[in-house]
Amino acid sequence: MSEALEFAGAGTGGDARARFRQPMPDLLFRLGLGVVMLSMVLMLIGPWLAPYDIGRPSEEIGQPPPALAAVPGLLVDVVTGETHPSIHWFGTDDSGLDVFSRVLAAPRTDVVIAVGANVVSLVLGSLLGLLGGAGRPWMAGLVMRVSDLVQAFPVFITGMILVTLAGRSNTTIILTLALLYTPIYVRLTRAEVLTQRQRGFVDAARALGKSEAAIALRHVLPNALAPSLIQASVTIGFAILLTAGLSFVGAGVRPPTPEWGLMIAAGADQMVQGEWWPSLFPGLAISLTVFGYAAFGNGLERRYAA
Amino acid sequence: MSRFIARRLLIALFQLLGLVLLVFFAMRILPADPVARLVGMNATRDAYLASQHALGLDRPIWVQLGSYLGVLPGSHGLLEGDLGTSWVSGSSVASELRHRLPVTIELISISFVLAFLISVPLGMLCAIRPGGVADSATFAYSLFAGSQPVFWWGLLFIYIFFGQLGWAPPPLGRLNPMSTPPPFVTGFISVDSLLAENMGAFWDGLHHLMLPVATQAFVLTGPIIKMVRQNMVRVLGADYVLYARASGLAPSRIAGVALKNALAPALTLLGVLYGYILGGAVLIETVFSLPGIGQYAVQSVLDFDYPAIEGVVLVIAAISLFVYLALDVVHAVLDPRLAA
Amino acid sequence: MPPDDPIALLSVRGLRVSYGGAPAVDGVDLDIATGEIVGLTGESGSGKSALGLALLGLTRAPGRILDGTVVLDGTDLLSLGESALRKRRGRDIGLIVQNPRASLSPLHPVGEQIGATLRAHRPMTQASAHQRAVGLLRTLGLNDPERRAHAYPHEISGGMAQRVLIAMALGSGPRLLVADEPTSGLDVTIQAQFLDDMWRSAREAGSAVLLITQDLGIIANYCDRVLVLQAGRIVGNAPTRAFFAAPADAYSRTVLALRHEAPPEPIADAEAPLLKVQDLSKIFPLRRERKTLQAVDHVSFTIRRGETLGLVGESGSGKTTVGRALLRLVEPDGGGVIFDGRSVTEASPTELRRLRRRMQVVFQDPFDALDPRWSVAEILAEGLEASAGPGRIAELLNLVDLPPDTAKRRPGALSAGAQQRVSIARAIAVEPALIVLDEPTSALTPLARVGVIRLLRDLQARLGMSYLFISHDLSTVEHLSHRVAVMYLGQIVELGTRAQIFGAPLHPYSKALLAAHLTPDPSHRRVDRAVVEALSGEIPSPIDLPRGCYLAGRCPVAQPACWETPQALVPVADGRLVRCAPAAERHRRFAA
Repeated sequence: MSEALEFAGAGTGGDARARFRQPMPDLLFRLGLGVVMLSMVLMLIGPWLAPYDIGRPSEEIGQPPPALAAVPGLLVDVVTGETHPSIHWFGTDDSGLDVFSRVLAAPRTDVVIAVGANVVSLVLGSLLGLLGGAGRPWMAGLVMRVSDLVQAFPVFITGMILVTLAGRSNTTIILTLALLYTPIYVRLTRAEVLTQRQRGFVDAARALGKSEAAIALRHVLPNALAPSLIQASVTIGFAILLTAGLSFVGAGVRPPTPEWGLMIAAGADQMVQGEWWPSLFPGLAISLTVFGYAAFGNGLERRYAA
Repeated sequence: MSRFIARRLLIALFQLLGLVLLVFFAMRILPADPVARLVGMNATRDAYLASQHALGLDRPIWVQLGSYLGVLPGSHGLLEGDLGTSWVSGSSVASELRHRLPVTIELISISFVLAFLISVPLGMLCAIRPGGVADSATFAYSLFAGSQPVFWWGLLFIYIFFGQLGWAPPPLGRLNPMSTPPPFVTGFISVDSLLAENMGAFWDGLHHLMLPVATQAFVLTGPIIKMVRQNMVRVLGADYVLYARASGLAPSRIAGVALKNALAPALTLLGVLYGYILGGAVLIETVFSLPGIGQYAVQSVLDFDYPAIEGVVLVIAAISLFVYLALDVVHAVLDPRLAA
Repeated sequence: MPPDDPIALLSVRGLRVSYGGAPAVDGVDLDIATGEIVGLTGESGSGKSALGLALLGLTRAPGRILDGTVVLDGTDLLSLGESALRKRRGRDIGLIVQNPRASLSPLHPVGEQIGATLRAHRPMTQASAHQRAVGLLRTLGLNDPERRAHAYPHEISGGMAQRVLIAMALGSGPRLLVADEPTSGLDVTIQAQFLDDMWRSAREAGSAVLLITQDLGIIANYCDRVLVLQAGRIVGNAPTRAFFAAPADAYSRTVLALRHEAPPEPIADAEAPLLKVQDLSKIFPLRRERKTLQAVDHVSFTIRRGETLGLVGESGSGKTTVGRALLRLVEPDGGGVIFDGRSVTEASPTELRRLRRRMQVVFQDPFDALDPRWSVAEILAEGLEASAGPGRIAELLNLVDLPPDTAKRRPGALSAGAQQRVSIARAIAVEPALIVLDEPTSALTPLARVGVIRLLRDLQARLGMSYLFISHDLSTVEHLSHRVAVMYLGQIVELGTRAQIFGAPLHPYSKALLAAHLTPDPSHRRVDRAVVEALSGEIPSPIDLPRGCYLAGRCPVAQPACWETPQALVPVADGRLVRCAPAAERHRRFAA
């Protein structure tokens, strides 16, 4: 009797939680997942998917994209293999480069930088956070003070200074962003390490005769990493924004690399004059990608919390 | 409370000092050559050395630091409030910042207030029925707005509202070149024109602010809505709101209690956000050709103008820390648990 | 009073409340007469709280009242408009809920919150509302009510916060008070003080009370009639005495079943004890101030093989720290622990790890004690040798009465009771000689609690381990312990056999604790007898303790000397130890 009721009670608890699940965030999560996967694919093979050479200009300069009404017909032509003089889906810019090809090729720069910076800062930040949460008091204090100091820097301007003075290259951008983002992961990991160390299962493992190192590795760190991994999704998105922003003001990637921020900057004057396409499409790409990463991270957070 | 404030001020001062030193050394360690940039590639070796000497870069790094801080005898430096002289323009960094800063502060402060006024009711709307249609839609919007490239939206708005509709002025500064700018008092066009009773400049200034403010506010609504919503959902689900209803309190009193509880913790986040936006104002200033501190920062960085770079970082960090601190103090006044 | 009393104050018919899916309250009929105190009990999730709130026309999001009538004093509250209903809430029908501090806005002083409630129902100035709030706090026994009124909720104790809620709920003299688990989270002595005050206030004001609680002890002591709710329906309705004589429903029968089971027999004094604790001490430094907190103060006791020592005390008594210090999960600052002839306190790290495996712990919060990312099988295997196969895990699950398929599940998918059984299985996996049970039943529902108590007793009989059973709940201690130690502010104040402590406590604190203990037995109601053992005030902060006896400030029989003389734990004639010279003296005279 008692057992049956006890287990029945557990069932209703679970149901109540399930009922609060919302359909909309789930949709957002899937959208985010799709964007994240697409960006990863483009990061790996984007330049090879491009229909035109991303570096060699064509004859058509400043050609607008095909009218919307013509798109279905053109698509049919492509599928059926009908040869066609030259389709520039997103038009060409003022030096005749195919915008579509360059939008596809850009993740090779933007996403590589964003992911690279976050991998570096995640690894560095987690280790420093572990030190800040479980290290000797003076060590932990030092880690946290330095982390506070780095966090007090204005992100964009510091990024601009470091990248420009260190020589504008993908590596310097990665290292600069990694430096700026490390404090985020230090804080998250430290807070989580401090909580996880108080958990009952840690004491239970001690009672079973496990060593402190084994407990830190098997119980504390895996449980403490989850928030950082979720954060990484959101931060990768922001790193893409920052990379594009730096390039936009001329303090990031060097032209003529296909990069979304550079492309928007190159098309800015034409946009003011009414030629919208060279800037619109790379901007859409950033907009969707960063939104996707944010939605993915948010969905992960909800799932993890439930 | 005063101990709380004093402690926070002291920490902020130490952070600023650390910041100054870090920037100072980073600029001298990184492989950039400001002298070459200044004299040009084709300059003779003598011209190079003369320029290097004039900038003081031939001295040992500790002497450079001492002279920058103003601890060397006869030198004027940071500790007296002297930010130095720009290597490029030769004018005082402080006075240049004095003219640049108000442009940026005016832009982002108005955007902040606007974004806040839009976000609070929307965030509250979400919290009334969490998981409802309005909540889901607003939540998706806030996630979207919070992850947008502000410079691209600026261009897009220019294309639509200036290029196509003609509602906005051309994105070329703060005022129509034809109109007479009011005399410089505070540096805020809106305030200075009112002081000068120049209503033409006042409306023209607001007209020019319309698009940059709209762009910045749009991006800002994302994080603010998310924050208000989160706090409001938490508060409306809290036991004390249920209990207030069970005690028969008037809805207006309950709303007041809920609002105070929801907005107090939001202040700290607003402080962080303000600093973040201030540092990133360069993007929107570039798009709309506004002569703010962000544009000045880009120019200094690209010119390797070290005193100007130091000044920009210091001023932006100081303002961010001050705003953060001020909002934190207000938060502590509202929430007595913090100062304890 | 018969339920179909024609002059019912409150009459509920066909009330249904739903939270999206199945109704939480499913067609409830109930009546409460004027001045009657009615207990409402039932398993967690049976809809008790939803029913209580629905009487005020409220639900928690996303709940909805589907239909039914709630007639109070001739008016159906549910048919009233929102503003008319609002006028009745707090004036005609008051509410007290569990977790009182969360029910007060953290950013407003408590006096202002009481005043706002008063002003909602009667026009008065802010100043006079404040005066009345202070007066209410004074009648509810808060010392220095003027200062308390200006305090914020985080500055007052849980007991005081609950009194603030009473002041708000009873301030306008409602005819009916709904009290939903008003004492959960309060210490035993504070709980008794509070319930006494509430009972008295209600009786004096002639208010009827619906007292919702899982604790049948509270119901037996304070209620006139009992209602039992199960899956949203009333399954039992009887006068208190009749209910406890023979509960009609299966749930109450199971929860009360332990009453008739004999507690364990005393253990014969055999060879050397398994565990010997001598002058164990632990001092925590406080970070903000330069003060220290003496959590454990020269605690000594022994545990024999196969014996259970119950360690009871309220919050801040240091009982949990004692349990942790035995395994050096917190490092003791002084004293010694000898386990099976070997010193734990002087063991090298390697030796300590070996010793720990023979002394396991089971914690209060079962969810916290299990790594959420591991399956039950992995958790159980953590302590086992690599050679132990899946057979051993099935055997362990069988020992703690869990189905074999539990092995594949993660802790999050189990009920609290099942999680606690996994914790126990992990502890017995390494075949320990001693298990420290740190409040293992406190986080469980009454039903799960009964199951775990039976299981623990059963395992001890089969496997012969010793237990250190730490708890604030005297009923469970009584069911499991051979001997009992009572702790107060880091010290053991009395140590004796179960019969000695529960039958005739000597120390004033033990007496007060036992007097505050609410047994599920309506023939010994607390409200029927004059309680002389009651302590005044609340447990003092363990940071600034008096020089003499720690209880002196609250003790009803304190003598001037008690304030100055530290008390020693001395043996008395019947073999127990007492830390109170006057009590020991009285006992000696009485025995002579």
